[in-house]
Amino acid sequence: MTLSTSPSTRSADFDLQKLADKCCERMATEFSKSGKILAPIPLPIMEIVHEAESVVTVWLQVPEELATAYKAGQFFMCWNPYDAEGGMSRTNFNSEKPYSVGDIKIDRTGIDETTAADEGRVGNTLMGFTIKDLGRQSGELTRMAKGDWLALRGPFGTTFPNPTSGSTLLLVSGGIGSTPMHMMAKEARNKLGDRVNIHGIMGFRNASEAHYVERMEGLLDTLTITTDDGTQGIHGYPTQPLEELLKGVDSENCILLTCGPEPMMKPVLEMAVRAGIECYAAMERYLPCAIAVCGLCMVGDRLTCRQGPVMEGGWLLEQSDFGHHH
Amino acid sequence: MAELGVEVPGLALANPLMLASGVQGGTAAALHRVAASKCGGLVSKSIGPVAREIYPGPVCVEATDSIVLNAMGLPNPGVDSFTEMLSQNYFSKPLLVSIFGPDSQTVTEIAMKMEAAGAAALELNLSCPHSKPGSRALIVGQQPELIKEYISAVKQAVGIPVYAKLTPNTAQVSLEAGAALEAGADGVSLINTVSALEVDPYAGRPIIGNLLCGMSGPAIRPIAQRKVAEVALAMRRGEIPTAPIIAMGGITTGLDVARFIMLGASAVQIGSALIYGDADIFAQIENELNEFMDVQGYDNLGKMRGIALDSMEGLN
Repeated sequence: MTLSTSPSTRSADFDLQKLADKCCERMATEFSKSGKILAPIPLPIMEIVHEAESVVTVWLQVPEELATAYKAGQFFMCWNPYDAEGGMSRTNFNSEKPYSVGDIKIDRTGIDETTAADEGRVGNTLMGFTIKDLGRQSGELTRMAKGDWLALRGPFGTTFPNPTSGSTLLLVSGGIGSTPMHMMAKEARNKLGDRVNIHGIMGFRNASEAHYVERMEGLLDTLTITTDDGTQGIHGYPTQPLEELLKGVDSENCILLTCGPEPMMKPVLEMAVRAGIECYAAMERYLPCAIAVCGLCMVGDRLTCRQGPVMEGGWLLEQSDFGHHH
Repeated sequence: MAELGVEVPGLALANPLMLASGVQGGTAAALHRVAASKCGGLVSKSIGPVAREIYPGPVCVEATDSIVLNAMGLPNPGVDSFTEMLSQNYFSKPLLVSIFGPDSQTVTEIAMKMEAAGAAALELNLSCPHSKPGSRALIVGQQPELIKEYISAVKQAVGIPVYAKLTPNTAQVSLEAGAALEAGADGVSLINTVSALEVDPYAGRPIIGNLLCGMSGPAIRPIAQRKVAEVALAMRRGEIPTAPIIAMGGITTGLDVARFIMLGASAVQIGSALIYGDADIFAQIENELNEFMDVQGYDNLGKMRGIALDSMEGLN
């Protein structure tokens, strides 16, 4: 535990779990006011798990009600108030960025549901943000350690549509776009069990960056991996296996969701639209404020922070500023 | 339905509700988006001599449900890029172009370029509590002599109306308003954000990336009313030249608009409220204002303008 972000005055008997509980309690109070965390609330990182090359999951303890209110597609603004060396991030990079939740763990082991409320301590709820080192802020986050601070505000933005019983869900991700797809698969399984068919395609640049594969295999009916260099799964892009997948589905009762780089999502959405399938993309744009003030996250005439990040595929394809690198 | 139209120098507004500077209005797409709402007019983000990046985040957060804190750092595309955009776009609502610069000569050059590109009127951002130390923009609005220098320089160079955007962070705002108007400003707009700072006790540091910030939102509404009243009363007493006041600070409802009109404002600007209702907030506020004026029997804004000042005329 580095505790690089904290005053050096922390006493020797400092208890991380106690601090996490207190921060969680603070967050619960804020959340109960408006169903949202307005100002960033710092939480101590409980665990950091290496997922793949330059991909880590940062686990934070949050109130269970916040975790269960979160819907796939939404995002939190994540801010590291100090860098990994303990320095204050008042430098020339934006140190607060939007991330969607990658995973949620609600620990109910050993809890007697009938008496838990009266027993005081119950199992903790952990929220995981899976982050790939793609630049200064995300790179900084991947170098954080247990005990360091990560502040959250949110959740913000639109959600994916709810699949209905008997329907088919197609989830197509590129790179770190895996995270909202995983949460969506988890949500759909929790809600509908076997009454929904879920097929996934996950594209990565290479095998060493592949992550979330086991998680997804446990949830999906079928999963196809593609890599740009052929080091794992199909050599190529997600559009290749998608072609085959689309042939076998009932377009009337199917939803396609995608998240990843825009140059990947564009052809995916085009294929879905051509096949007559309802489709949505979770967009990522440069998004400094998240509350409709800065106006810098626009796609077409819409704000990604308010009218996104989940946007309708047909509409996106009509926007001239969609589909390029951002 | 009451008549909500209002004319101020350079701007014929269908209603008194303008988008405040600094909120969404930095690009053509963003301005068109707000223009499509029920707002009466637009104010651009403050445009400077060159493009500026946004500060490190968090850049803008709600500290509570009535306090908004921000330090954006005047991000803007720069005057040349903005004027190119301006000459290529027609906006369906009158656009007041906000400008700033490090010295009077630079601001004057920006003003001339804006006029040439077709700007209808200018708002000089004389105050920004979160500018970097050492920047002259930090202190212009707090020094009447500098305000005079800036306004006279710009007024001598352009023919379009010029508004002075005033800071609340001074002892007596009527002095700054007086300086601007004596130097030839066609109107004043106030208040800019209130200087602020908020520490997170767990993180042990301020919650805004830039550390120092400006405060807006409903919590500053009473401060804004006091400042607007001080300027309006000074005008009534003849201490400073009389000119239109565009008021802002924490307006989120139609009743809030009425408060400021009753303190003598000709029009108002709305910024932080877009956090709560996005651009749709203009339709809501317009409806509320209409309803209020109908039940009170005010058939136009002139009927209620300044009436709250009557009881305060003797006050200093």
